[in-house]
Order: sequence, then C-alpha cells, then structure tokens
Amino acid sequence: MHLEKFDMKNSVIEIRDLKKSYTETKVHVHALQGVDLIIEKGEFTAIVGPSGSGKTTLLNIIGGLDRPTHGNVKLNGQDIGLLSDNQLIDFRRDHIGFVFQSYNLIPVLTAKENVEFVMLLQKQTQADRDARTLELMTAVGLADRMHNRPNELSGGQQQRVAVARALAPKPAFILADEPTANLDSKSTADLLDLMATLNQEEGITFVFSTHDQRVIDRARRVITLEDGKIRSDEYRA
Amino acid sequence: MGMLITVAWRNIWRSKTRTLVVVGATVVGIWALIFLLGFFQGQIGNYIHNVIQNETSHIQIHNPEFRKDFETKAFIPEAESKRMSLASDPLVSAVAPRVILSGMLASSNGAQGVRVRGIDSEMEQQVTGFHDKLTQGAMMDPSRKNQMIISERMASILKVKLRSKVVLTFQTADGHISNAAFRIAGLYRSNKKMNDELFVYAQIQDLRSLAEMPPHAAHELALVLHDFDGVEEAALRMKVDYPEEQVETYRELSPDLDVMKTQIKISMTLMTVIFMLALIFGIINTMLMSVLERTRELGMLMAVGMNKLKVFIMVCLETLMLSLIGSPIGMLLGFLTIKYLHYRGISLARWSTALEEFGMSDLVRPILPFQNYLWIALAVIITGFLASIYPSWKAIKLRPVDALRKI
Repeated sequence: MHLEKFDMKNSVIEIRDLKKSYTETKVHVHALQGVDLIIEKGEFTAIVGPSGSGKTTLLNIIGGLDRPTHGNVKLNGQDIGLLSDNQLIDFRRDHIGFVFQSYNLIPVLTAKENVEFVMLLQKQTQADRDARTLELMTAVGLADRMHNRPNELSGGQQQRVAVARALAPKPAFILADEPTANLDSKSTADLLDLMATLNQEEGITFVFSTHDQRVIDRARRVITLEDGKIRSDEYRA
Repeated sequence: MGMLITVAWRNIWRSKTRTLVVVGATVVGIWALIFLLGFFQGQIGNYIHNVIQNETSHIQIHNPEFRKDFETKAFIPEAESKRMSLASDPLVSAVAPRVILSGMLASSNGAQGVRVRGIDSEMEQQVTGFHDKLTQGAMMDPSRKNQMIISERMASILKVKLRSKVVLTFQTADGHISNAAFRIAGLYRSNKKMNDELFVYAQIQDLRSLAEMPPHAAHELALVLHDFDGVEEAALRMKVDYPEEQVETYRELSPDLDVMKTQIKISMTLMTVIFMLALIFGIINTMLMSVLERTRELGMLMAVGMNKLKVFIMVCLETLMLSLIGSPIGMLLGFLTIKYLHYRGISLARWSTALEEFGMSDLVRPILPFQNYLWIALAVIITGFLASIYPSWKAIKLRPVDALRKI
C-alpha cells in the first residue's frame, strides 16, 4: 500500500475543508460544509452536537467508512482519497479501532475469539494472538471471562471486550461511537476509567461521539458541531 | 479459512429452529426423491425383466426371413447343432429351441388367431421359467402327442377347459394349409394380457412333424446369459459366429424398452431438477433472512477490516453447510428405505389388472444403483453453490456505513 507520509508527525487525523453532501429520500443534504480539524496522538476528544449537526457523517469519514465530496482527509498520515475500496478496508483493519454503541461483538465467538478476530484477519501467528489477547483481556479486567460468549456477559463487560478488540491491531486511534449509550452509571464510570487509563498510560488516542455528559466531562477536548460546521473547539486542563 | 469455517458453522446454529427446519426439509426431500427414483427404477427393471423372461430372452437367433412374416418355411435348418454349440459357450446360461407357427385355434364355441410356440419343456423352463406360470393342469408329457397349454384368457375366449379338444389350422413348411387336433394339458397365466391372447404352447417335436420341418430345425433359439451386462458383447460375437442367421438382443427385439427407459430417465431427471429448485429457493430464502437479520453485524465485520471476498466466502460456506448437513442423513434414510423395500417389495395388487395390460407385475422392488446416489450428492452440492451466490452477493453489496447506520 502506498502511504503518503504526513508532515505533522503527531497528528493522527487531519481534515482540510471537508464537505459532504448526499441525497436522502429525494432531499439534498449538505451534511458537512467545510470542516477543518486536526487531532493529535494521545488526545482524548469528544465530538458533540445535536442530531443533524453532521456529527455522524464526520465520524463515518474519520472512520474511513465514507468518502468526502470535497476536501482532504489524512488518517495516520495516509490520504484516504488515494486508496481503493479494498485498500481502505485493509487500512481500517490495521489503523483504526472501532467501539460501537451496541458493542457489536460477534455473538457466535467467545470473548477471546472476538478479540483475536482482527489479528486473524491480519494473519498474525497463534502465539502472537494468544499473548496479545491475554494482555488485552487482562488490561480490560476480563482475563477470567475469555471463554464466555457475548450473551454470557453484561453490557459493561461486552463493551470492555469491544475495547480490547479495538486495541488488538494496535491502531493509530480508537473511534468510539456513543460507547456509553447502553450502559448503566457504574458500567459507564468503569469504562471511562479504563479508557482514561489506556489514554494516559499507553498514550492511546480516543475520539468519541457522544451525548453523554459524563463522557463530555471526562474529555480533554470537546468539539461541537452545528449545521455541518465546527461551532466550538474547546481544550480543557 | 479455518476461522471462516468456524464462524460459518456457528452462524448457522444461531437460529436452531430455522436451521433444523431447513435440514428437516432437505432430509425429507432427499429421502422422498431417492424413494421415487428407486421406485421408478424398480418398476422399469421389473418391466424389462418381464419382457426378457416372457418374450425376448437376452438374445434370440432366427432365420433372417422369419421375423418379416413369421412364415413356417423360414426356419434354421441345423438349429440343434447350433443350440449345442451355444450351450457350451461359457457366457451362456441356457438355450431353448422353438418352432413357431401362426395359425387359427378353434373350439366348437369359437376361434382365435394364435401363435403356437413349440417348446422343449425342460429347456424352456431354464430360459423362461414357463412352469411357474401354470395355474391348472401340468406341463406337457413328452411321451404323449399333441398336447397344448393355453392361457386362462384364451380358454375363456374359446370357452374350453382342461382336457378339452381344440383344432389348430396352420401352414406347413412347404406352404400347404394343414390342421391338427390338440388336447389341453394345462392353463397358464402371465402378467401381460396381450400375450395371453396370442401365445399357446405345444411340444416342439409335434409341431416339427406336423409342419413337415426337418428333424433338427427350429424357428428360434432363445438364449439367457449368465451376465445381463454382457448381452451386447455376446450378441456381437454371435453375429460374427453365425453370419447366416439373424442375432438380436432384447433391445432390438423390443425397441419399446429403450423408449420406456428414456422416458423414465427424463422423468427421473425432471423430478431431481424440481426437487433441487425447491431446495434452492428454500435455502436462498433462509439465507437471505439470515443475512438481512445480520446487516449490522456484517457491516461491523466490514468496518473492522473483513474484506468483501471473506464476507462472500463466509456466507457461501454457511449456505453450503446448510444445504449439505441434511443430505447424508436423507441419503442414508433413502438408501435404507430402498434396501428394505427391495427385500420386502411394494404390492400394487389393487392395480394389477391395469398393470397387466402393460406387462408389469404388481410387486415392485425399488432399486437405485450406487451412481444415482453420487449424482444426487453432486446435484445437492451444485444446488448449494447456486443457492449461495445470491445471499452472498447481497451481503457484500452492504456498505458498512449504511449497515451500521452510524459507526
């Protein structure tokens, strides 16, 4: 894969003049109208905004799931506009970790197998997979639940497994879409603690989309979208 | 690939009821298909067996002129020496000579055109098992002259019974019309009405002498071989060995057998195709449901880096597994059913009258050659592949961004 090196060494996401429009039920929607955004390695960033603000569209593009109508998107130094669809799939596999609102674990696989899954797609050896899976399951506090299937785990536990899965390929950043939306307060607090620890101790970059004030309160940077544009970009101590 | 197989196998058991319904339908379908194919095969086999046993034997040898008009003069002059030579052939199980006269059989109450087969009881028994068809009286006694065996149906047409006298009018070898009186020694019943109204039996030596034929002549040599599959090959050799005679196999003697075999083959192929079509649609329906239910999950798989080829292979594997789980069970059940019913036989006695019109017996023993099982297995595998294409294509057409609605 041709990787175009990005000049800003520390930036994992760089977006210039991003515009995205699409037609939905015969209505032309300008979802994003010129967004410029740089997210650097090690950030703990929340993207917030009301429905229709373009938040989802922005996250899809940051996740390499959708392509811009106009503008330039570099993820981990790679201009994704230069990648074919298949290259983009491989790029997502190797560079982006996803945590979804409804966990989206593979129900027929055990927790260990779910974490291993992306590493299998990367054709890592059994020994490497075993070591990495144990390390991650220990990190998320579920080393004793390796062989349970998702339906045998609580929502909070499933989301921890999802975090472990997202971390498995050692991605450039983790994109978490409303990760706490289905969790109770205790599980939310535990998950945020886990993510904060991973961010502070391992330097892992997290980008959230959220409505949850508890998540917003923990973020060190909050980007607010409105009408397809960034309304505010606030750094906190 | 190992991972894809594991995931595919576990996926099909996510909805146990649905999978079991499909597997059950496949098992019942394949079982029924095998039973039907075996039943038809048994019926045609039965028909061929009857034709060979009652009419054609495996091979018949005639004077080349004989089958044109069935004239008495068209005989094989040295039939006896040919019979002895053929009987010593290791491929041949039995040979029976026959003198055949066409004529009119009359009683005081009626008359009927007949074909009289002059037989040697001992030899005929080895070729056609004629004794077993006797229902009244006994086989003709070689020490007594001018005896005849006619069918029960013929007896009722002529309004005669056992030991009644009938008169046969026929043409001799030199073309004269002659007649002779016969006493009815026995009545027979075959399973083909048409034949019962045509054939009557007398002793070969009586007919030879009445028709003024040479002492070792016959019109027909009927042969049965040890191996049914060796008929064509043996006939070819005999054609070379006896170029002056007409050597014909049962297929040449009764061309309707090939027509019937072709018809049965077409019916069997159609049944298989119809079954496979039903299976295809059943499986496509189930797999489409499964794919559409998993839209979000498939979107997630593609989002985290599973490429389209792998998604396609995974859904294909699921479809194939779904198609193939039930097949061995259905085939085993079908095989056992065929074995059991072949041993026991299926009685169609209720329809025996209708079946007799066509020369079929009322006991069918289903049978299905091993190669048919292989064809069915192959057809199911092809069906599984065909059925997998559409759901797999549907799966890879999903865009992760739509499938997940939002990431």
